[in-house]
Amino acid sequence: MDKRGTILVENIVFLILNLLFLSILVLFLLKQGSGAIVLEESYSKQIAMVIDSAKPVMVIQIDLEKGKKIAETRGIDFGEVVGIDGNIVRVKLTEKSGYSYCFFNDVEVSSRAIKDSKGDYTGMYLFVVNEKGANANG
Amino acid sequence: MDKKGTDKILSIYWFLILTIVAGGIFAMVYVFYGAPSDVREIEAELLAQKLADCVSKNGLIEENLFLNGEFNPAINAYFTDRCGITFKVEEGYGDETEIQYLYKVSFYDIKNVVNPKFVISDGNLNWENECFIEKSNSKDYLRLVKCKERRFYAVDKENNQYLIEILSGVGKSEKNVKK
Repeated sequence: MDKRGTILVENIVFLILNLLFLSILVLFLLKQGSGAIVLEESYSKQIAMVIDSAKPVMVIQIDLEKGKKIAETRGIDFGEVVGIDGNIVRVKLTEKSGYSYCFFNDVEVSSRAIKDSKGDYTGMYLFVVNEKGANANG
Repeated sequence: MDKKGTDKILSIYWFLILTIVAGGIFAMVYVFYGAPSDVREIEAELLAQKLADCVSKNGLIEENLFLNGEFNPAINAYFTDRCGITFKVEEGYGDETEIQYLYKVSFYDIKNVVNPKFVISDGNLNWENECFIEKSNSKDYLRLVKCKERRFYAVDKENNQYLIEILSGVGKSEKNVKK
């Protein structure tokens, strides 16, 4: 009786540890791939590249759905996630982090988060590219 | 045979293997996501395209590059602004006075493609030689400026043919290459 009982406990511990290992691994991979820091860098560079290839008077929409989810869980207003100051794109998904990247295209760009008819953010961002000095109200 | 003892040894080996596998995956993921994505080649390509659009439209060289039928040397002073290009960058690139871009637009007469007839250039031209260093996977190479070279043909309004060669480069290694 004792022997069989010992084997069962060992097996269960073995299984639990295995599952624990795999769960940690999967969680780590998922967290790394969609982490705020990775997304901030990727979004700011992506937006800068899009602006570099844009011409006045283009209107560009970019899907930032993943960033919206992170910003909401961290208590950041999605409308404040992307900021453009001169020729510098700043993306901020958490209070403590943030990433900036510049574009060489000397244009005036305004950005805003798009809302649906209910007033909720859709996860899309709108960028309006204008000539320098032009009124860029997106 | 001591079955219990064998099982224990097997379990230890199993966890050892799992630890090695997990360690390998952690290391790979850390290296992959820990390094910034290098977008400088795309940027250099976009810069070259912007310059090409600025130099010629529909195969015709812009008229304001010429003065009395000859290339206007004064254009060098304001070409960057005229093309709608700014070299301003955000903080985080070390020396703030160091320009992170370079470009050189060379106009060759179609009959002499060795010596350019006219050259327009701006930015950090100290990096120009780095554009021609042979590609390698070393860290030192990755930190060098990333360049693109583009060539196309165009004519002036008197139908003289030119080969136009654009060399563009982007530094910004601090934000594109792992330290």
